[in-house]
Amino acid sequence: MRLQLGYIPLCDAAPLIAAHELGFARAEGLDLDLRAEPSWATLRDRLALGHLDGAHMLAPLALASRLSLSGPPSDLIVPMQLSINGNAITLSRSLWDVMAPESEAPLDVARAFARVAEARRASGRPLTLGTVHPFSCHSYQLRLFAEAGGLDPAAFRLVVVPPQYSVETLARGLVDGFCAGSPWNDVAAAAGHGRIAVLGSALAPDAPEKVLAVSERLDGAILPLVRAVARAGRWCADPENRAELTHRLAHRTYLDLDAAIIERALPGGAAEQTLIGAQLGFGAEIQEPRLAYAQWVIAQMRATRQIVDPTGLEAAVSTIYRPDLYRAVAGEI
Amino acid sequence: MTETSLTVAVIDPSRARAAILEEGLRAAGVGRVVVIPDTADLLERVTALKPDVVVIHLESPSRDILEQMSGVSRQVERPVAMFVDRSDTTMMQAAVDAGISAYVVDGLRAERIKSILDIAILRFNAFARLQRELSEARGELADRKLIERAKGILMSMKGLTEDEAYKQLRRKAMNEKRKIADIARAIVTTADLLG
Repeated sequence: MRLQLGYIPLCDAAPLIAAHELGFARAEGLDLDLRAEPSWATLRDRLALGHLDGAHMLAPLALASRLSLSGPPSDLIVPMQLSINGNAITLSRSLWDVMAPESEAPLDVARAFARVAEARRASGRPLTLGTVHPFSCHSYQLRLFAEAGGLDPAAFRLVVVPPQYSVETLARGLVDGFCAGSPWNDVAAAAGHGRIAVLGSALAPDAPEKVLAVSERLDGAILPLVRAVARAGRWCADPENRAELTHRLAHRTYLDLDAAIIERALPGGAAEQTLIGAQLGFGAEIQEPRLAYAQWVIAQMRATRQIVDPTGLEAAVSTIYRPDLYRAVAGEI
Repeated sequence: MTETSLTVAVIDPSRARAAILEEGLRAAGVGRVVVIPDTADLLERVTALKPDVVVIHLESPSRDILEQMSGVSRQVERPVAMFVDRSDTTMMQAAVDAGISAYVVDGLRAERIKSILDIAILRFNAFARLQRELSEARGELADRKLIERAKGILMSMKGLTEDEAYKQLRRKAMNEKRKIADIARAIVTTADLLG
């Protein structure tokens, strides 16, 4: 059976890419057509309107799509989680120099950021930070970063910066920093424009990052797909496979970026050794789409007032997140 | 339709397609149509323009920049929502098939929005058709050149007339159930290798 799956070219699309490239999908009788989508909005719309059968999706966007908070009406469900962590906040070199934090500990960095952000707001030139989509862990991690330093999140401007623009917007001073997923923080740091200030995992440990979202219409194809992608995710999590995974992701069909940068950002890579806190995770222990993950996202949505009325939310969430589907195949993987 | 008071922003990675839509909207009487380049400072430009409607191609990476205008953000004073009425899935399908998404300022009446979307769908579909025809025409031209070269090779190597060379190509193509251009390509490639 042929399936159209959408993804955004990021390191955490690895389980879908590996499922296709390494034959995990074929072993389940599935032929995957992987389509790189130009934006999260277009990926969401194409999944909702049936142009895609499934997708690599921001966990908050998947919930927002099905809850009618974002885009066209959707019948998506989440039978599996693809990844946790992997995001980081990168600040411009000049902002970092002005902040001069006492240490690189997340709390010191957050306090130093809060001081500068307050001063800039008072002078009428508030700082601008970039996120990837309103419905993303990135947005929530930026708010948590502000709050960790005792700063009112309204003290800075929050704008959306597509990852492929992040380096340019930082270099041109259009933003003072951004929160993005792997490998974009390392790309900005390697280009000399930014400095990775704090990992997302230091602000929200083991945050649900990307999920596998599929249309309910897929029905009988859902379980074979989950088996294939779950096996692929476990393969990606194995440090022994890092070199091959790096090579596959770096290829121009997928991320089309420098392999050395991708390698840093993958589990067990150099990025993990230089900063405290667990990084991007794909393994068996994170694949079940537990309701606790969804509830964390919902709590963040409420804290940012993306959801005002929580009536009926709990029941709705348990029809979207489907740990039962994952558990039905987990024993066979 | 008289929409002289409206400002429509057009964002499209293809400048040619943007120009075609711009022309269509002007012809329909939209007062102000501004094509905004698909670059990193897009939000600043859109905010400064204060358009009533933003029509953006689905392939533009900048779509996510506009998503924040959909009421969630406190930064933009003029909240913007997804263009089409959520209940109108047919319209939404037609728009997405044509490669369009659009955002509209709250309060613009539905029928006014629909007429703009109709124009955008017509123009984008026409553009896609033109591109298809153009690439087919280019393909045909390339095929014809290939056949001319293959005929020339047969004529000089086998001492055939032009007519005989063409008949040989055609017979080979018929026997092998392939296109004449494919046979011609094989001859040209072989001649290049051996020549």
